Amino acid sequence: MHLPDIELHEATTLEEAAAAKSRYAPDARLLAGGTDLLVDLKAGRVSVGHLVSVNRIDALRGVSETDGSLRIGALTTITQLGCSSIVRERFSPILDATGKMAAPQIRNVATVGGNIACAVPCADLPPILTAMHASVALWSPKGERSVPLEAFFVDARQTVLRDDEVLTRVLVPKPPPGFGAAYARFALRDGNAIAVAAVAAGLTLGRDNTVRSARIVLGAVAPIPKVVEAARTVLVGKRADEEAFSAAAVAAMEAAEPISDVRGSADFRREVVGVMTRRALATACRRAQENAA
Amino acid sequence: MMTPCTLAINGHKHCVAVEAGDTLLDVIRDKLHLTGTKKGCNVGDCGACTVLIDGQPMNSCLLLAVEFEGKAITTVEGFAKSGKLAPIQKAFVHEGAIQCGYCTPGMIMSATALLNENPDPSADEIKEALAGNLCRCTGYAGILRAVQRCNNYRSDGTCAEKDRAAIGNCPDEVGSPRGATDDETASKCKEPRRLKPAAQGSKYDSVGVSIPRVDAADKVTGRALYTGDVSLPNMIHGKILGSSVAHGRIKQIDTSKAKALEGVIAVITGADVPDTMYGVSPARYDEHVLAKEKVRHVGEPVAAVAAVDEKTAEKALSLIEVDYEELPAVFDPVEALAQGAPQLHDRYERNINTHVDQDFGDVEKAFAESYRVREETFVGNHVYQSPLEPHAAIATWDHDGTLVLYSSTQVPHYVQYMMAHVLHMPLGRIRVIRPTVGGGFGGKAATSPLDLCSAILSKKTGRPVKMVYSREDMFHYGRGRHKQHMKFKLGVDRDGRIKAFDSEIYLDGGAYSSFGVATAYYAGSVVPTLYHIPNYRYNGYRVVTNKPACGAMRGHGVPQPRFAFECLLTMIADDLGIDPIEIRRRNAMTPNTITVNEMDIGSCEFLATLDAACEKSGWNEKYGKLPRGKGIGVGSGGFVSGAGYCIYRGQVQLSHEKGREPFQKRPIFPHANAIVKISEDGMAAVLLIGAAEIGQGSDTVLTQMCAESLGIPASRVRIRSEDSDISPLDLGAYSSRITLMGGHAVSRAAEDVVNKMRPYAANMLGCNEADVVARGGRMFPTRAVDDAHRAAGFSPRGPATGEQPVDESLFVLWAEVARKYFNDNGPLVGTGCYKPPEGLGGDYKGATVGTSPAYSFGTSVCELSVDLETGKVKIDRFTDYHDCGTPINPRAVHGQVEGAIVMGAGETIMEEVQFDEKGQILNPNLHGYLMMTIKDAPEIFSGIVDSYEPRGPFGAKEIGEGSTLPVLGAVAHAIANATGTWIKDLPITPEKILKAVREKQKPSAISDQPSPVSGERPVT
Repeated sequence: MHLPDIELHEATTLEEAAAAKSRYAPDARLLAGGTDLLVDLKAGRVSVGHLVSVNRIDALRGVSETDGSLRIGALTTITQLGCSSIVRERFSPILDATGKMAAPQIRNVATVGGNIACAVPCADLPPILTAMHASVALWSPKGERSVPLEAFFVDARQTVLRDDEVLTRVLVPKPPPGFGAAYARFALRDGNAIAVAAVAAGLTLGRDNTVRSARIVLGAVAPIPKVVEAARTVLVGKRADEEAFSAAAVAAMEAAEPISDVRGSADFRREVVGVMTRRALATACRRAQENAA
Repeated sequence: MMTPCTLAINGHKHCVAVEAGDTLLDVIRDKLHLTGTKKGCNVGDCGACTVLIDGQPMNSCLLLAVEFEGKAITTVEGFAKSGKLAPIQKAFVHEGAIQCGYCTPGMIMSATALLNENPDPSADEIKEALAGNLCRCTGYAGILRAVQRCNNYRSDGTCAEKDRAAIGNCPDEVGSPRGATDDETASKCKEPRRLKPAAQGSKYDSVGVSIPRVDAADKVTGRALYTGDVSLPNMIHGKILGSSVAHGRIKQIDTSKAKALEGVIAVITGADVPDTMYGVSPARYDEHVLAKEKVRHVGEPVAAVAAVDEKTAEKALSLIEVDYEELPAVFDPVEALAQGAPQLHDRYERNINTHVDQDFGDVEKAFAESYRVREETFVGNHVYQSPLEPHAAIATWDHDGTLVLYSSTQVPHYVQYMMAHVLHMPLGRIRVIRPTVGGGFGGKAATSPLDLCSAILSKKTGRPVKMVYSREDMFHYGRGRHKQHMKFKLGVDRDGRIKAFDSEIYLDGGAYSSFGVATAYYAGSVVPTLYHIPNYRYNGYRVVTNKPACGAMRGHGVPQPRFAFECLLTMIADDLGIDPIEIRRRNAMTPNTITVNEMDIGSCEFLATLDAACEKSGWNEKYGKLPRGKGIGVGSGGFVSGAGYCIYRGQVQLSHEKGREPFQKRPIFPHANAIVKISEDGMAAVLLIGAAEIGQGSDTVLTQMCAESLGIPASRVRIRSEDSDISPLDLGAYSSRITLMGGHAVSRAAEDVVNKMRPYAANMLGCNEADVVARGGRMFPTRAVDDAHRAAGFSPRGPATGEQPVDESLFVLWAEVARKYFNDNGPLVGTGCYKPPEGLGGDYKGATVGTSPAYSFGTSVCELSVDLETGKVKIDRFTDYHDCGTPINPRAVHGQVEGAIVMGAGETIMEEVQFDEKGQILNPNLHGYLMMTIKDAPEIFSGIVDSYEPRGPFGAKEIGEGSTLPVLGAVAHAIANATGTWIKDLPITPEKILKAVREKQKPSAISDQPSPVSGERPVT
């Protein structure tokens, strides 16, 4: 299929982008990497007459570090994120997601902002970023607001983004000592595969190996990246061990709202959520112990 | 709205008018005609469209062209500089990284981006870099090897002269058949192969040598033209509208809005196409070009449009309004058989399209006498060929009324035959051109709606019409593997020797016959060619359901029964405490046997494949000794080397002119025909044969056999196989027939040439005609010649090569003899043909299916790991040995095996077309329909056992389909071995494994305990 007839607006500033998007809303979408959007347009799942490209707004690119926090420009590609020395050295759990996502050709084009703003339930970055307490900056001519990632998603492919808003960057706070995170995903093949069930875990350990704080986020098994509140309750104050992880896995399985589709039944997905939860926690725990030293 | 856009491609600026929504891929291909960049899926799943943007690989189908102004864009055409191949291209040519070539440009892009950043990557790094590039042919083994060894092709050393590959596609330019490089690379990765001498005691120059493919240079440079790459002047574009319902009556079709759309030139519906029905099996032609009254599956063609461009045609489709009266539909063959089930066709009572009832020996008596009888039920899966190149056709009519059809097909002749049938015109007025084909695997083995609709639309509009399937269209067209429901019962004696086998199979045929009659017979007929089965009964029912028609896919009908049989044989071996390889040895087919169903087995080295696979894989050290989660399994299989009979009866003739002809137990006309035409200077031979090169390598092996028989290097032979106006009839690429049948034809045509040259050579050499030998571009006498001739100046011109028992001091140049012939007679042309032997098969109904001049045999051992918590399978390693007779090109043989293993393993664990309850395909794309990526592919060892088939040219048999057959059973067994539980329905997904593991309370290795599965019925 070809793309439908569209009008492309190439914005060079955020103001232009916001103006164009709000002028044509709801018949407009922002275009960044386009690896989701163009597929949806070809398949007729999305039908708009206007695309507002933000690809010429260079200020939206790049990865930087401010006071230990990680700032990721929305147009940063997945490849660029994965290659960033800041990420590799101090925010390495993100690599669990960037390394497994799609294939190089997609990672070279797909953007961090797009992976979040498209709000596709099986997207790989939102769970791990949420587990690392990330927030997104939403810019509009009226000003900028910061939204914690767990409050950003409304439903599958729906977010709190308003018509005149542009997601400009992601902020990942400096990990406290004793913090570790990990992302475990299950897919049906080893290369270029969509996540069937995924779990991100972030936890902070005390010196005695007790869990001080914990966050489990599920991907691909709910309409939105789902924070498992019960897992926190189960883990905090406990020793970080197999028993605690198994209890958290049960909580995660209960919290999951999987659907059945070509990639697996709901029951199977739920079961895999348990396994992925234990694996993500075990890795996060190991990393937390390394970070405590 | 068109806007100008300047793109910097391969260092040159191109200013082109584009629309905002034009993808970079469409601009590169359609507007700039750089067709080396391929369109495989159009949604970023396959990687065939990969280009480099500022050095980074990206899917050009997901980029808007206008956004890439000012970027440096590199396509595959930008690689070869001044006619010299880049090192990565040379590596692909020489390391066997290419088959159909459709993935090749994209692969080269991804590999180049990697090597630019990391000149010495590890295997894992290569796999990561190529994970977004699907290949359906090679199993990735040659591709991995090429990237790993790319550095070897950087220097100006031995490979430098190979650069000429960029400016000529003749194989000798890229490495002499006897060149050191080829021998060296061949022996590095594969074991040296011993050749059994032919009857005459001669050795071969061009046969048995791994020369690079003759089309390799074209494929690495993007110069190979596939049907979708061809563009004719004044050409327009067609698309087909598929039914939106699974079963319904067409009440009305309103095309007025579509016709009114600007740019639409013609719209046709069922009312505009002939009433003649078509199909594959002559007894069951049951399809109309476009549905006339009823539709029987989602996607069934109901209307077609021709427009100025493809996008307009797509828009027009959405404007066609079809009013259906929806009918109840049925999607399962067993349900379709039930009383009261929806009837698809009036002519197929109870929806039974084909019933096979075969009974050999006394099965019941043999079961009663068996020591152990075991009955199990197995279910296969609906698998789709998914060649990387989508089906395509271009039709145009010459002014004399000749139809010229470009088609991406495996069977140009049958397309010609079927077009003649539907369009009521003589075959001779139809010219079928088969451009480069990007894989088929059976999916392109029949005349498609694209062939027919493009011809009809072209006739109607007076313009060339091009039609290309989208990836989704391909799934709706179907013709994939039949899903088979199999109830198998096997009886053996105390030693595990087979006494009797009973099979009952329900094949889910989809809505139409296609190949299905033959499929239903094949599902039974090739089972007894592998083992001695003295008593055999087969009941097969091919049932129509409201899904796309199933057809012939690699191994046609046999892989699923073979999978089931192999599993059952292993189960029974476990029951009896016999090693699974040992039970195969005890039952293995032996040479020169007529099977119980009267298949004529000639050469057979099945035992050797068992022994070699056992030893090479370390089977005895591993089987039953691996920890849980690790598994090893064995499977065997074999196939026909070409069907013994043509698909239609009688002679080549418009089928309306002949009645239904009685079956004759002999081929009516030659199934393969060749002409060898020598250039007037004697320096080149042009080989003409209509054998379809679809990526499997037939052009290369036929060139080799032709050269061998002519006695000149393969570099001096050019093959023309793509045009029915130029090349004589060959039935095509199906039933693994070309090496044997086409090989005979080309070899005989070449011998015809040599025989015509003999008097001239004999005269020049002063010897008897019968004593002339052609070899290495020279002609020698095999006996001493008289002194008069020696005195007349016949002295050696340089050292003779070869080890022929001839008087090497005397020779004449082959070309000189050819020139002498031409001076006296005009064109030096030889012809040759091949008919399968007469009298093949028995006298029972369906006895022809499964007949062949020769059969292949093979054994695979699979080693894998199962994540017992998630059920995920990682196929680690395959060890495969095949008896393919004499391998004409060993590397091509290994390429077929490697590709078949990855395809077959994927088929076993991840591939399945899924439908919803309304008959809609849930995964008509390459992210939902999963084929293995390079990261999923196992390490593969492929070996060839010594074998010589007297009925094959140079002793050769088939490899293309037989290579698939052992794979499924080996994987299934290895999974059972790893998990302690058999899973008997395909694909064996993580979900099924996890369920089975959970259900099994106290699992232990399958080989540790007898009979882990229910269904045993010991007989005392």
